[in-house]
Amino acid sequence: MPSRTARPNTGAGARPQGPPAPAQHRSEDDPRVMLERDINADMYEPIPPYPTQTERESEFYSSGDGEMFINIGPHHPATHGVLRLVLKLSGEQIVDVDPVLGYLHRGVEKICENSDYYHVIDQVDPLEYISSLFQEWAAVLAFEKLMDVEVPRRAEYIRVLSGELLRIASHTLYMGFLALDLGGLTPILYSFIERDEIMEMLASLTGARMLFNYFRIGGVNGDLNHEFMSRLGDWMSRAAKQTEANAGLLNENEIFVRRTRGVGVLDRATALRFGVTGGNLRAAGVPFDLRRAHPYSVYPELDFNIPTRDEGDSLARYLIRVDEVRESIRIIDQCLHNMPDGPVMAKLPRLLRPRPGRAWGACEGPRGMMGVYAVSDGSDQPFRFRIHDPSFMHLETVPTLLPGNLLADTMTIVASLDPVLGGIDK
Amino acid sequence: MDRTLRRRLEARLSAQLQGPIRQRHDQTEIRIRPGDVPDVLRTVHDAVDLRFEILADLAGVDTGDVMQVVYHLWSETSPDWLRVIADGIARDDPRCPSATFLWTGAEWLEREAYDMFGIIFEGNRDLRRIFMPPDYTSFPLRKDFLLPDDAARSPGEGVRHIERPVAAARAAADPATGVRRARVS
Repeated sequence: MPSRTARPNTGAGARPQGPPAPAQHRSEDDPRVMLERDINADMYEPIPPYPTQTERESEFYSSGDGEMFINIGPHHPATHGVLRLVLKLSGEQIVDVDPVLGYLHRGVEKICENSDYYHVIDQVDPLEYISSLFQEWAAVLAFEKLMDVEVPRRAEYIRVLSGELLRIASHTLYMGFLALDLGGLTPILYSFIERDEIMEMLASLTGARMLFNYFRIGGVNGDLNHEFMSRLGDWMSRAAKQTEANAGLLNENEIFVRRTRGVGVLDRATALRFGVTGGNLRAAGVPFDLRRAHPYSVYPELDFNIPTRDEGDSLARYLIRVDEVRESIRIIDQCLHNMPDGPVMAKLPRLLRPRPGRAWGACEGPRGMMGVYAVSDGSDQPFRFRIHDPSFMHLETVPTLLPGNLLADTMTIVASLDPVLGGIDK
Repeated sequence: MDRTLRRRLEARLSAQLQGPIRQRHDQTEIRIRPGDVPDVLRTVHDAVDLRFEILADLAGVDTGDVMQVVYHLWSETSPDWLRVIADGIARDDPRCPSATFLWTGAEWLEREAYDMFGIIFEGNRDLRRIFMPPDYTSFPLRKDFLLPDDAARSPGEGVRHIERPVAAARAAADPATGVRRARVS
């Protein structure tokens, strides 16, 4: 296999120099035994020896004076999944980044094109495993347009209710993990208390704890039940107070604020050019939220604000999430007061065969716009099923945001963008 | 459906449109030749009465006969999504101009479409595989790429999870190539 030219010796691949060590008995587990054998030295190199294919790749992998490469991941606790970042460093300063994706690629789009319309819903569940209801929501939105299905109002309210609960769980987890990546262990423990309560609540509603498989084309799988409502009532009585307490742990923490303020600034024009959506775009000053920008479900009837900030740095991205949790609690409150009676499923045939056509459905997930483009050819399986994930677009900004920062800021910036690798790698 | 958007698009893009503008639910769909992609995207992005500034999605589609590249755009000037279909890209040598001159974010979306369909986006400076390994040679989302356990597309080999009449199943799969006959346009 041809190897890359002009790659520096980063140290990790170097073999031991000098006279051989004195003979002694060593275990097979001893890494020195491996080094003494005549094996391919490439396996110790941080960058696999593939020939470069594009202009940008050759530019990245040819290093200048004093530059070195460092490999983060794919198995690294702060990469939120299996993300591999190849960093080009000059001293401790980042010069360039090459994110390497695909370690979690499962080919969900192909699987969906070979499943019937009912099965697609549970195939898309494990993509965004932190907030799986929203990926289901995007899929059912597209399918309902494809089939001209009218969803009962009670089902729409239940969707909004469960979706906003999951948004709070996702944002709470985000705050904890952001602090964890910066070295603060306490907030994640409080985050998990909140998130676990919401997960148990949704488990009593949907029957599953994380991969819910709850939304259906034309409604939802089951009506509200007593256990869910009593848990929700208990939680709502202290949710607002608890959110403020959790946020207070970080908002007033000087170390946290100093490590996030002004770090990884994503300005308005760059964010728009990169197709960034969700909280990351609103932190850059663009009030783009699909719940208002392109209303779906019953969001036009609900009263809530779209928080925006102008700074566009990591701290702003964090504070936007805190504000959104407050707004979500307001939405849940309105849902509980306005919940209409009626059925939760539209009447549909058991075998769905939509007419040939195309439909695009998008909803606002915790990370941004979740989209699905579905093409029907008249059979019982989607002809093309395209999944658009916001984290994919957010991760794309990393090579722009990181250069110039210190190595330690990698974790701040990546964590503040809130990528979920399950969704990115499809 | 946004009727005024239809009129605005017809006024601006009369030379490039292929076929009528279709509208259904909250979507407006236009069809163009792949060569017109830079002109059309530039027009809908910059024109003062269109301003489609947010690229919601870029997807490749293999209809079995031709390839398509589908753009979904959002603008504050219209309640509709705009779907731009670059239609009629040859399957044996799929090429399409890149949209990275307008949206830098299209770079990875095009890498994904290249990885899955083999569509070559001219002007993209980093067009390499993104999900599959660099030494992989196939394009998995093409319609002639069958799953190993794909009983659905090969009648007689295996049992489908939802049965349908044998005649319909045979008509859907072309026995010569295994390519599913497209009824989409």
